[in-house]
Order: sequence, then C-alpha cells, then structure tokens
Amino acid sequence: MSDRQAGAGQATLVIDGAEVAFEPGESLFEVSARVGKRLPSLCYDERLEAFGACRLCVVEVEGIRNPVASCTTLAADGMVVTTSSAEVEAWRKTLVEMVASENREVEVDPLRGHASQELSRLVARYDAVPGRFAGEPSGKSREDDGNPFLLRDYDLCISCYRCVRVCAEQQGDHAIGIANRGFETRITTEFDGELRDSACVFCGQCVQTCPTGALADRKAMRGVDVPGEIEKTRTICPYCGVGCSVDLMTKGDKLVGVQPAMDGPANKGALCVKGQFAFDFVQHEDRLAHPMVRNDDGELVRASWDEALDRAAKGFRGVVERHGRHAVYGVASGRAPHEAAYLMQKWIRTGFGTNFIDNCSRA
Amino acid sequence: MSRLDDNDLLERFRKLPAPLLPLLHAFHERDGLVSEEALEALSEGLHIPRAELYGTLTFYHHLSRIPGGQAAPRVCTGPICRYKGGPEILEALRKDGATPMPCAGRCDEPVPVLFGNEVRVGSSVPELLSRPSPLPVPNPGAVEECVFAEIREPDRASLVGYERTGGYEALRRCTAGLRPSELIDLVAESGLAGRGGAGFPTARKWSAVAEATGGPKTIVANADEGEPGCFKDRVLMDHDPHALIEGMCLAAHATGASRGFIYLRYEYPETLAILEKALDEARAAGHLGDRIHGSGFSFEIHLRRGAGAYICGEETSLLNSLEGKHPFPRNRPPFPVTHGYEGTPTAVNNVETLCSVAPIVRKGVEWYQSLGLAENAGTKLISLSGDIQRPGNYEVPLGLPLQTLLADWAGGPPEGRRIQAVTMAGLSGGFLAGADLDVDLDEPGIRSKGSFLGAGGIMVFDDSRDMVQVAHGAMEFFAEESCGKCFPCRIGTRRLAERLAQSHGPRDLATWQQEARELSVVMRATSACGLGQAAPLVVESLMKYFPEELEQSLVSGWSGGNDER
Repeated sequence: MSDRQAGAGQATLVIDGAEVAFEPGESLFEVSARVGKRLPSLCYDERLEAFGACRLCVVEVEGIRNPVASCTTLAADGMVVTTSSAEVEAWRKTLVEMVASENREVEVDPLRGHASQELSRLVARYDAVPGRFAGEPSGKSREDDGNPFLLRDYDLCISCYRCVRVCAEQQGDHAIGIANRGFETRITTEFDGELRDSACVFCGQCVQTCPTGALADRKAMRGVDVPGEIEKTRTICPYCGVGCSVDLMTKGDKLVGVQPAMDGPANKGALCVKGQFAFDFVQHEDRLAHPMVRNDDGELVRASWDEALDRAAKGFRGVVERHGRHAVYGVASGRAPHEAAYLMQKWIRTGFGTNFIDNCSRA
Repeated sequence: MSRLDDNDLLERFRKLPAPLLPLLHAFHERDGLVSEEALEALSEGLHIPRAELYGTLTFYHHLSRIPGGQAAPRVCTGPICRYKGGPEILEALRKDGATPMPCAGRCDEPVPVLFGNEVRVGSSVPELLSRPSPLPVPNPGAVEECVFAEIREPDRASLVGYERTGGYEALRRCTAGLRPSELIDLVAESGLAGRGGAGFPTARKWSAVAEATGGPKTIVANADEGEPGCFKDRVLMDHDPHALIEGMCLAAHATGASRGFIYLRYEYPETLAILEKALDEARAAGHLGDRIHGSGFSFEIHLRRGAGAYICGEETSLLNSLEGKHPFPRNRPPFPVTHGYEGTPTAVNNVETLCSVAPIVRKGVEWYQSLGLAENAGTKLISLSGDIQRPGNYEVPLGLPLQTLLADWAGGPPEGRRIQAVTMAGLSGGFLAGADLDVDLDEPGIRSKGSFLGAGGIMVFDDSRDMVQVAHGAMEFFAEESCGKCFPCRIGTRRLAERLAQSHGPRDLATWQQEARELSVVMRATSACGLGQAAPLVVESLMKYFPEELEQSLVSGWSGGNDER
C-alpha cells in the first residue's frame, strides 16, 4: 500500500481500493508506479513530457466516461481509480497485438539499445499473438543512411516519437521530426535526408529510448554474434569532467558496447557521441601491446619494462635537475582508466612535488 | 507588383499573431510550392527548427513541395463525389498534375475541383465552372428559422444588407450597456449548445473563459469544416459573413476576449475573400477594432487559412496549427477555456453556434426556444447530400423527424430508387438504415440509435450503392486523416480499412466480425480524440445493418483496395 501515511489535509486518492497520498503534480501513472503497479506503456519515458499516445496505460476513473491515459492525467483529491479491470486488460492485449502487427518482428537483440526490449516484453506479458490484425507494416527503414552510429531500421518503428521528443526535450537538437500523418507517419530529418546532413550530433539518446530497436546502436550490433551473455558493468565515462554514468557491456572479455545509465545522477540517460560510440580504441589492433624505446637511430624498438622505465626516469630526472620540479607537467588521457588517471596525478604531485597535472577530460 | 522576397514576406507576417500559416501560404503562392529555401527562411525567421517545420509542412494535404504544385488541380473524390464523376475528372486532369482531395464541402453541387485559389464545379471537365455556392432554398417546411432567417435577403453578405436586416443590433446592445454576465445568462437560458458536433453548452464555455485568469483571452471561430458531407458553415460564411463577425464580437464581449481568429479550411478560397471583405467593412464601420461603437470594448479578428487536415477541426489540433506547431491534438485537461491559444483562456466555437447568438439576443430567448420541437431548443443546420432529389442546406427545428426532411423537404430518393442508408454527423456517426431511419433529428433521438447528430452532415445512399464500398471509402478517409499520434486510431483505422478492402484479414464472416469488433471497442474506448473514438461507428453500423452484404462481399472477394483518394 502507500509508502506514506495520509496526514491531515494531505490529498489522497483511491487506487484499486487502497487509499494513497500524492504530491501535487503527480500523474496517475507515477502514483501507480510508486505503489508498485507499473502500468504498461510504450510511449512513456520518465525524462520526457507525458505524451499520451500509446494508450496502454489507460485507467478507469469514477465519474469520467472514457478511460483516461494515466500518464497525462494528474492525480486529484478524491479520485477513485481502477488500473487494471479485466476489460482494460483485454484492451491492452488487443492494443499490444495491434502494435505488434505493424512490425517486421518483435524479438530484437538487446544490443540494439537500452529500451529495445519494451515491446517484446509486453508481447510476452500479455501473451499477445503478433500475427493477429495482420496488415501492411507501417515503417520504412532508411537503409541509405550510411552513418556509422545509428541504424534507422524503421520497419520496427511504432511511431511513439520518443526519439523525436528526447532529441528536442533532452538533447535540444531538434534534428528529427514527424513527417506525414496517420499510418504514413515517418521519422524524418529536415528534407527527409540523412542524419549526417541534419542537426544530429549522434548522441545516441534516440537509440537508447527506442522501445522496439527500430533505432539501433550500429557499433554495439557488431557484437550480436559474439558468443556469451551480455554483462553490464557500471562506471563513469572518462572522456570529460561531467561524470556521466555508463554501463559497459561485455561478452566474455570483449567490450561490445556502451549504454548510458538512465539513473546516472549527472546524465540521466544522456551521453555524447564520444561516450556513446567511441570505444573502439580499447580493443584496437593498433594499440601498443608492449613498451618501446627509441634506439640510437631514433627508431622505436621493442623494449622490456625495466628498460623503458629506466629510460623515462632518466629523462625526467635530468629535466628536474636542470630546470627544477615545476618544469614537469603531466597530462593524463581521457582514454585511460580512472585508476590510471588517479595514479598519474599522485605520481606528479608526490613524485615530483608539483601541481602541474592536468587531464584532457577537464573540459 | 514586383515579386516580394523572403524578407519582405517575413516582415509582413512575423509580428502578427499566428504567423506560420499565412507565411506558408504566401511562399506557396509566390513560388508555386514550398521550397527547401523557403522552409529554411521560415525556420530562421520564426525560430522553428527545420526538422520540426518540415514535418509540420508534410502534415498538411495542400502544401505542395513540387514545382507548380500549388496551382495543380485537386479533385474531390469524397463519399458523394466519387459517385458523381470525381474519379473520372481526376483521370482526365492527371495530365495537368491533378491529385485527389478529400471532401471539399460542395456536396450539394457537382464535383468541385480546386485550381489554385479557385473552385470550379462540374460533372465533367468541360462543364467545370466557377460560381458562388448555392443559397439555401426557402424553408420547405415553412417553419421559422434562426441562422437562415435573413440569409436570403438581398445583399445580406454586404454590410449595408446586413445592417438593413437587423445586423449588428445585438452588438450595439452590448456596447450600449448589456453586461457580459447578462449576455452569458441570456445565452444560457436559450439553451444554445455547440453546433460543431460536441454539443457543449455555449454559455458554460463562455463563462469558463470569462472566469479564467490570464490573458489576452481569445475567441476562435472553428471554420475548418472538414467533416465529409458538411457544408453548412460555408453557406453561412459565403452569404452571411457579418453574422459570424458579429457572433465573434458577442463572444468576445461575453468572455472579455480582445483577439479572435477565424480558422478557415483551405478548400474555401472564395469564402476567404468574402470574409476578408466583410472584416474590412466591419472595421471601417467601427463594429470591429479599437473602441467598438465608441465604447470601451476592443476586439480584433485575424483570418487564418488552414492547409488541409481534417484533424485541425478538432479544437486543440486547431490551436496547435494556429500556433505553428505540429497539429497533433493536445492532452486534456487542461482545456482550451483555461489553456488555449498560446496558453491563454480561449473559446473555440463553431461557425453555426456563433451565428446563432445575434438572433438570440435580438429576438429573445423564448423565441429561440420555441423554434425547436418538443423538448428541444432551437434549430440545427443539416447538410444533406447524395442520392436525394434536392440536396442542400436545411435549417430544421431540432426534433424534426428524419423522414420528413428526406421525403417532404428534400423530395426523397431519385425516381425509382429506395433509400438504403444515410450517414450521420458527416461520416463520424456511421450509418442509419432500415427501421432506424424513423428517428427524430435531435441528439437524444440519434444517440438512441447508437449514432450522433454531430455537425449535421447527412449523406444519402440509395439501393444502387455497395455499402461495403461506401464503408471502405469512409474508413480510408479516417485512416488518411488520422493524425498519427495515438496508437488505437493510427493502427485501427488502417486495419479496418484493409479489412473492408479485403486486402488483409480473415475471409470468413464470423472471424472478420470478431476482429472488427475487437478493434472497434479498443478504438472507441482508448483513442485520444473524437476521430478515433468515432471512426469505428462506420464498421459497427455496417455489421449491424448490412451483414448479408458484408458476407456476400467476403465470399465474392470484392476488393476496393485500389480505390484512390
């Protein structure tokens, strides 16, 4: 039941027979979720303005003739709400079957994006039959859009417009819009072109909020055939000073992708193009696999760790002896792990006795 | 006149309220299309992101993006015109770039074809000519009328003619001292309710706006008469434009509004010119503008032309369209009476509703109430079209038996034919047929048959028509006009249209009906606005009245899928 007691003067409503207190401005969807009844939805993303499109979250309110979308209806004192009558649940099943009918498939690889399993989960939850209400599919994939990051596989699009809304409301780019009407609706850039010719900055937020995988992370999808289960490891993106929380997705010892943490306090699901897509260097074949030093001809040749460290120490020591400790300046790389960055500053500060330490992520 | 460049156009409209639509039209007419360059200029000038503006542009039916598209003919292939030569005219004009358009609101005439800003009507290409829309015939029942009472008077469309026949007397009473609250009380007593379809009591809407905080308050005349088979607002505006202006002034006086909009559908270009002229006359005569009649009451009206989208007749979609946003309907609450145009308190009223107010003020509440039959107050305009001897607009006392209108007033079906079905509320009310044709024309009467009176469009289909085909055409219309926001409407209208065309879906009657019922129930219960809630009535009433025809069609495999609209 309610996680807060209804005090004197506190507004309350009744949800499925239980009296619940609420804060002004809370929607029925939010109040319902707070008391453990997460209503089904496809157009809902808690970071965005409630939209009221998918109608899966409709609930019955006493005194109102038609059911209302719980996401767009604010809780009001004395409301009596039934969230999931048998009739409403039957409508939801039909709605899920209608949505499934406009898609090529409902099972998509989770590497496509953070929210990509929402439709398939609902199909399972309602035991919906995707083949019912068969007809023309609604979307049209943009196979011509050759950007390296975002797959625009609109055959799977269900026109919830979360991509358009996250681009406008969260990212502020307004790179995509809604073209045409009704079943012909398409997600479009200005003049229906490719993303690279639009205002898109490839932050990938549209990918991560897409509930069907119609927008997919092309980089992560390279790992679809890598054997093994996806494991997620929470960390902080090292690329800059904002501190976005990310989940590194690995299969075995292979990094296959990055997803933003929706509950990251600094980013709430947002990332930039680097944090989202620029992780190839980790497993890149051009990476140094062993220390190297220059020989007498100035060529880099393979060396042992002792040899390399001795050479570095000698160089630094010489500089400090000639010019003093403040002649040393350290810059750590944004591509190095956080632990390495920490050690780097420790080394400069206590090793040399200078505060001339920086990181290219300080932006 | 020299060609105005982008900046000239932007400067002309940018500072006016609701600038996007007039700017789109200005570019469209100057260039013959809305080009990418125009869109970039608009985006920059109005600070609307390009992708959003591009999307909004593609939402509208009539804004062309191909050279010469603005002037290319659009041929009505609506529910009536498709049987009167519309498809044949379309084929004949294909060489000129003709495209089909949904019902253009001239259903009492031969097929309308839009050439740029001119409507020509005719049954075939050689017959196409431009002419004023017909006046309503004298009331065949010889009953007293409200909004049509003076419309046939000579020169009624001009200020002189309007004033000679009682025009602006009601407004003079207001500026001479009739207080806003008194005006609202009067309208409340009359029982006047919205004539656009929803039937919401006019006085309640007005007092909600009057009591709402914030401003400036706004009056919007919904003249986006997009419902197929409805052409009543057109005749009012064409032949009695000052009645609308006076009605809006009265609404503004009642609510404290200082600005008004007329949102006129694209397909009425002649009406646009008539309204422009009437607005100029009204301003010049001091009936509109600053300090009307020398009183403290000021009110201005801005005329805005739609661009072809049925959903913009839905009031919140209309408001988004005016504001230059993507014309999806808004979530309610909040309602327009508190959060309307640009978030200000706004009364959106139908043209017929607004035109009814001045006669009520002038002739009295009791007079208005006495116009209806039995318990009903007042009258309703009915646009009657299709297989009927005398199609046209009729002002009927609410409560008039439908059969009286069809047989006595309009002469019944064509010689040798029988009326098979009629539609209600244009297409939105679905069909009535058989014994249910014995019904009184008032909301309780029609609702008892599972339909509704709505905006008052009635299309008649005689026994030569294939009702499955008619239903398919209707559902295609809804599918094409669905805005695409809410899932049940966007998907449901398409799936029902496919099932009526038999391009998809089950072929045995029982399963077909099961699916259709399931889709219909979900659409009606969960759609976000009236379009999706009403659209299934077409299929439900088809199943109710014409199960044999439906089964026959499923067995023989009729396919209307190639029907173009």
